[in-house]
Amino acid sequence: MHSTVTRTQNVFGFFTTVCFIVAALIASTDFLFPRTPSASITVKDVQVVKGRPHYYSPKREEYASIRFSLSADLSSLFTWNTKQVFVYVTASWPDKDAANKSVRTNEAVIWDTIITSPSADHLQNIGLAAMRKLVASAKGKAIDPNRGKLELKNQKPKYQITAPTGKLAETDDVQLNVHYNVQPWVGVLTWTPQVEFGRWKRMKGGLSKVFSLPALKKKEEKKGEKKKA
Amino acid sequence: MADQILDKVREVAEGQIDFEGQRLAEFLATALLAIVGVISFIVGFFIQDIKLALFLGLGGTALTFALVVPPWPFFNRHPVRWLPVGSEVSSQSIVVDGKFIG
Repeated sequence: MHSTVTRTQNVFGFFTTVCFIVAALIASTDFLFPRTPSASITVKDVQVVKGRPHYYSPKREEYASIRFSLSADLSSLFTWNTKQVFVYVTASWPDKDAANKSVRTNEAVIWDTIITSPSADHLQNIGLAAMRKLVASAKGKAIDPNRGKLELKNQKPKYQITAPTGKLAETDDVQLNVHYNVQPWVGVLTWTPQVEFGRWKRMKGGLSKVFSLPALKKKEEKKGEKKKA
Repeated sequence: MADQILDKVREVAEGQIDFEGQRLAEFLATALLAIVGVISFIVGFFIQDIKLALFLGLGGTALTFALVVPPWPFFNRHPVRWLPVGSEVSSQSIVVDGKFIG
């Protein structure tokens, strides 16, 4: 500690140690806050149509568009260490010729969203007006658990899904499932727990009733109507 | 003339402090940074505001740097007293391993 340079080095060196320990403490406080999310999801309108993966593709595949209603309360996931929560809805179904139908081999995301904490609002990739509105919605609050409440009615899916075979019409045993992924400021990412872990409970609900995809929607009907007219 | 100025500049840049000052600087750096870390965590946790914790930590660290790094006068309160230049060595008794030499 005899000269300016050594003093700077020593202070900075110990600063990094303090940083690491405080970060570890902050990450460990995650376990203190109970996580008791709940969600209920119902399938609305389901359609299967023919399409192609991109404009110039010669491949024709079947795409399912699943509308749904979601009512979720994820407010318990928002603590001081929560940066953002990624919520996503998947559709899963077993293989058609599988012996054990309880194994859901196929799973595809049909909708997702990012819910930011007020401390991470500036990271959202949205327009200026929308950003102002978002920031204003939690003015003066460090945490806003109200953002964890989702209420979607007859929501259009973000992604139309298909299967590797390209065939999807009349698939049975399809189920929608709500998942989340908590992204903290410090610590590890955590996904929807499959087992209870201390104060982190499993998601209450979050599964839809099992349903079947309809037959391919035919375009002939429309053409026929036109001819008649 | 130029040499004298250069020496002064070097002295200021090096910022040497005495032995007691070094002990004090070491203690201050360790204690202040540890206290800042504890305060930023506790305040952040109870107010549930991670940004506050971050800025408390960074602010406290900046304060520690400001207090410890420059050679403040209170680090130089115990200057080492050297023997006067040209004093007779023989008049002093130098002890090495319990034996008087010189």
